Amino acid sequence: MTAHECRDRARMLGSYLDGQLETSKLIEIEEHVEECDGCREEVRLLQAMRASLKRVVRGPAPSGLRDRIGNAMAAERSRDEARTADAGIAANGSARRARLRTLVPLATAAAIALMWSTVPTGGKSNVQKSSVAGFGDDLLAELVAEHSQPLPPEVTNARDVRSLERYVGFPVHPANFERMGAHLVGGRVVPLQSQRAAMLQYIVGSGDNARRVSILVYDAEKIQVGDANLSPRAVGSAEVRVGREKGYSVAATQRAGVGYLLASDLDPDESAQIAALAYDDR
Amino acid sequence: MPAATDSAKSDPFTDEALTHLDAMYGVACKLTRNPTEAEDLVQDAFVKAMRARQQFLAGTNLKAWLFRILTNTFINKYRRGGLERSVLDGPDADPLADGWVSASTMRQLRDSETLALMPLVETEIRNALDALPAEFRLAVVLCDVEEFSYEEIAQIMGCPIGTVMSRLHRGRKLLQRALYNHALSLGIVKGEERVGDRPGERANHSAAQSGKPAKTADLAEYRRKRGAA
Repeated sequence: MTAHECRDRARMLGSYLDGQLETSKLIEIEEHVEECDGCREEVRLLQAMRASLKRVVRGPAPSGLRDRIGNAMAAERSRDEARTADAGIAANGSARRARLRTLVPLATAAAIALMWSTVPTGGKSNVQKSSVAGFGDDLLAELVAEHSQPLPPEVTNARDVRSLERYVGFPVHPANFERMGAHLVGGRVVPLQSQRAAMLQYIVGSGDNARRVSILVYDAEKIQVGDANLSPRAVGSAEVRVGREKGYSVAATQRAGVGYLLASDLDPDESAQIAALAYDDR
Repeated sequence: MPAATDSAKSDPFTDEALTHLDAMYGVACKLTRNPTEAEDLVQDAFVKAMRARQQFLAGTNLKAWLFRILTNTFINKYRRGGLERSVLDGPDADPLADGWVSASTMRQLRDSETLALMPLVETEIRNALDALPAEFRLAVVLCDVEEFSYEEIAQIMGCPIGTVMSRLHRGRKLLQRALYNHALSLGIVKGEERVGDRPGERANHSAAQSGKPAKTADLAEYRRKRGAA
C-alpha cells in the first residue's frame, strides 16, 4: 500500500469512524485499516481526539441558568398566549382581521429555523425538501412586540445606519424621519426569512415626554404586507395606513419599492405623519 | 382558546427542550469562546425555540432543531455575514496533506490506556479547538461531541453534506496538526520529515533530504531510517 493510496482513503477514515460510510466503502476501509499500520493509527488517533473533545466540551451548564431560561421561556409563552387571545377577540369582532402572512416576524433568527424538515435518525441520506411554515399570523403584534422590547441598535449614527443598506439591498434614509422632533437612536438589521430588513429606532421628545418610534424598512417588492386592520388615509401626497395594536399606534406606507412599517408610543395621527415622511425628499 | 394548563409553570415542551441545556451550553461555549456570551446565546435560542414551537414537528428531532436555532442565533448575533468563509478553495488553501505524520508519532500522541489523547496533549486540544475557524469548530463539535449524523449537521449548519464532510476532515486535520506541534514542543514526539507529502507541495519543514523528492518517502523506509538514527 503506497502512501498515495492511503491518502486517497484518509478522507474516508473520518466517515468510517463516524459510521457514515456506505456499506461497500465500509468493507473496503475496514479491510484496509486491518492491514495498514498508518491508517489504523490514524483511526485510533481520531478516536482519541474524539474522547478528549468530549471531555473538553461537555460539562454542566452553570447553576441558575436552567431556572433563568425556564423563566424566560415561560414569559415568552405567556406573551405568546396573550397575543393568541388578543387575536381571538379581534377575530370575533365585526371587522375581519386580515392577517399579514407573508412577512415573517422580526428579529427572530429562529425564522430561519422554520425551514425545518424532519430529520431521520437513521443517518441515511434522504434529505427532504424543507417546507416553509408561516411564523405567526400577526405581523403587527410581532412588530409591536419588538417595539415594546427593542434590541439595542447595532449602529447609532445616521451615516452608519444609512450604510445598513449594503446589508439589506435597498436604500435606507434614516434622516427622512428626523423631523417633528424625532431623533435617531440607531438601527439594526433584522432577518426576515430569506430577506433582511432594517429596523430604525427614534425618540420623539425628551425626558418624561420621550416617545419611542420603531420603523421597519423592508423590500416591498419581495415582502407584501396584507390589508390588516389598518385604515388608509392620505397625509399630504402620501398614502398611509394607520391603526392600533396593543396600545401602540402603527402605520404603514411604501414608496419606490421600499416599505415602511412603523410602531410607536405616539398617537395614530402622529405616527401617520412620521410614516408619511418617507415621501419627503431631503 | 388556550388549554386549561396555562397556569402551570412548566410545560412539556420546555421540559423536553431543557434536557438539552447542558449540550447547548457546551456547544455555545465553543461557538462564542466566552462563557457569559454563551449563556446569553443559549437563552436567546431557547426563547426563540419557545416562540417558534408551533413550527416544530412533534416526534422529529428536537435536539437537532434546537441546535439549528442556536447556530442561526449565533450567526445573526455575532456574525452578520455568516460563519467564516470556507478556506477550502484556492490552490494554497490546503497545507495539510494526509499521512503527513508517521504511525509511530500518531501512536505517541495518544494514551493507550485511556483511549484518549495523552493528558499533556489533551490540555492543548482546548486551545486548538478554539483556534479553529468557527465553521470547522462547529462541525467537529457537532459530530465528535454531540454525535449528530452528517445529515443532521448539514441541516443544523445549513450546508450540503459534502461541505460537512470537508469541514470535519479539515477541522480534524487542523486539530491534529496543532496537537502534533504542541507535542513536538513538549518533546513528546520527535520532529520528523514529512512523509507522504503531496506531489508538488513544498516540503517546507522537511529535514534536509536534499535532492530527494519528498513524495518518495514511504512509511517502511521512514521507520527503518528512524530506527537506525
